[in-house]
Amino acid sequence: MSNIALEVSHLTKSFRLHSEKTNSIKQLIATGGRNKFAEFTALSDVSFTVNEGEVFGVIGQNGSGKSTLLKCMAGILQPNAGSVTVHKRMSALLELGAGFHPELSGRENIFLNAAILGMGRREIAARFDEIVEFSGLESFIDAPVKTYSSGMYVRLAFAVAINVDPRLLIVDEILAVGDVTFQQRCLEKFVEFRNDGRTIILVTHDLGSVKNMCDRAIWLTHGVITGEGDPSDLVDAYTEMMLGNRNRNVDGSVRRGSGELQISSVELFVGDNPEPVKRFRTSDNIRLRLNYTAAKPVPKPIFGFEIESLGGATVTAPCTRDVGLIPEMVSGEGHVDIVMDAVGLLPGTYDIHTTVTDFNRQHEYDNVHLALRFDVMSGKPYETGGLVTMRPQWSMGS
Amino acid sequence: MSLKSAMAHRNLLYLLSLKELRTRYKKSVLGWAWSLLNPLSQMVIFTVIFRYVFKAKPLAGDPSGLANFPLYFLSGLLPFNFFAITVGVSIGAVQGGAGLIKKVQFPHEHLVFSVVIAQFVTLMIELGVLTVAMLIGGNMVLPWLPAMIAVMCMLALFTTGVALALSAANVFFHDVNYLWTIGSQLLFYATPVIYFPASVGLPALQYLARYGPTGAFITAAHDIMYDGRIPGVINLVELMVLGFGMFFLGAWVFNRLSPKFAEEM
Repeated sequence: MSNIALEVSHLTKSFRLHSEKTNSIKQLIATGGRNKFAEFTALSDVSFTVNEGEVFGVIGQNGSGKSTLLKCMAGILQPNAGSVTVHKRMSALLELGAGFHPELSGRENIFLNAAILGMGRREIAARFDEIVEFSGLESFIDAPVKTYSSGMYVRLAFAVAINVDPRLLIVDEILAVGDVTFQQRCLEKFVEFRNDGRTIILVTHDLGSVKNMCDRAIWLTHGVITGEGDPSDLVDAYTEMMLGNRNRNVDGSVRRGSGELQISSVELFVGDNPEPVKRFRTSDNIRLRLNYTAAKPVPKPIFGFEIESLGGATVTAPCTRDVGLIPEMVSGEGHVDIVMDAVGLLPGTYDIHTTVTDFNRQHEYDNVHLALRFDVMSGKPYETGGLVTMRPQWSMGS
Repeated sequence: MSLKSAMAHRNLLYLLSLKELRTRYKKSVLGWAWSLLNPLSQMVIFTVIFRYVFKAKPLAGDPSGLANFPLYFLSGLLPFNFFAITVGVSIGAVQGGAGLIKKVQFPHEHLVFSVVIAQFVTLMIELGVLTVAMLIGGNMVLPWLPAMIAVMCMLALFTTGVALALSAANVFFHDVNYLWTIGSQLLFYATPVIYFPASVGLPALQYLARYGPTGAFITAAHDIMYDGRIPGVINLVELMVLGFGMFFLGAWVFNRLSPKFAEEM
């Protein structure tokens, strides 16, 4: 059992929404000392724990309470109820270069900024060279910060922040700073952090980094935790919700789109067998049939499908436009057949998603996520790893 | 503010104070000379007005026997300016620290403390110059300097208390900033900087000049620097009560209000 790095229990935070903020005594007297305000609950009864060594993600829409949660964790805002317990040395990076003074030199600002982030003088002195090296600003370090370009400014700020040496790092949307080389260096530093067994809490809109970097995540909606657990499941659910107007079908498939033209079903056939199947073997000849229904005539539709492995890798994603199969008009019911000979899929489970769009692929008539799931059983050739076979011809020479 | 967190961040306090001192006169040709030129110009103005416009005569210091308007003005002006400027700058420092307060957790009181420390350093330099002027003017003040420093420390405590309370209140009501401009002027005239308490006609006003909150400190400064004697025990006790009392009151107010700063700013 790992140790707990941070514990949030029953955290509730509400703000007063003043019709107009009472910031002058005149107003205070005019309102008789009572502010007319509406209460806005930014977080309500939020509880979770972050274990040591975890990379923990927080996702949610704008206004979901992410920033409030972050500020409560960082100790900047006081919760109305509940508590935040930080067990490890924490550093919260909400903004880079907070407290930089433009007239002071880079060197002086390093000392000041590190002190603001809670470092002692000896500690800073010991890490000073490392900070300067990381920022790559050796030759400018004695120039006033106001002469820096914005990129240099951010690099110096990040270099200080990352070298504070926390056991628990809370990061807010700041992974994308500087040029590509610098971003790469930041990413390396984060990976190094993680490998050191330090704890990172990532609050971000960048779902990719949550999926890639986090071990666990929570999803906030209007101040309430709506999901907790595996980041890729959560990110999928989140994206699904964000994309909106989707209907989940009984079979687990999810449909969205304007609906004039819909894929009613997907069938899979092996060889000449007229019975649809849900499994076949590597190197079988298969035929995929997309049955469609058009509520009204639709001009020049583009049909497409995607085969995705269970692990989330797209194996193939062709569409009718690729081969120039573009009907002038489609109406009523019909089907699109795709014949694929000697399919090189290796054993495993795969999902088929389908799309029907207009000619420019801008407007989506229909999109079915998980239209069909099928299994591939071992056939010839057999390979131990991978998703597809390239039918290798092995030989040796000497 | 707990003493523990203040200690843990003493490095921050040191660097913030250094920043105050370093950035104050950046980009000015005369630099630090300004901190002396300001009270000197005030002194010249007051001297011209009282000496040549009102044709007033300075009272002699007892027992120093010193009768000199400029030196009298300076020994009151320097401590009073320290008080008024520190409070004014502190109010601005907390308001100006919004960017920091909203983004980083740190002891907010250090924003005020650093101003007090930087201004106190300035005051000490100014008093050093005044001491030289006193010696040139024939007033042997050297034996009384430790007493002066002790009184200034009490004044610093008092000033810190006022600065803490007002800078915290200003976050919620920006009027405080403007009220202070008026308030510090009123205090200036209620304090015997440009007049002698003994020459005040109304007994109540004379009492205020001698024992009012700022008057007590300035009277003590005059006693030491101008008159060349240690203030009475009652005065010293009053200074201590004022210093510590105001400090703890200000700290209490600041402590109550500072957790809500980030939300209000």
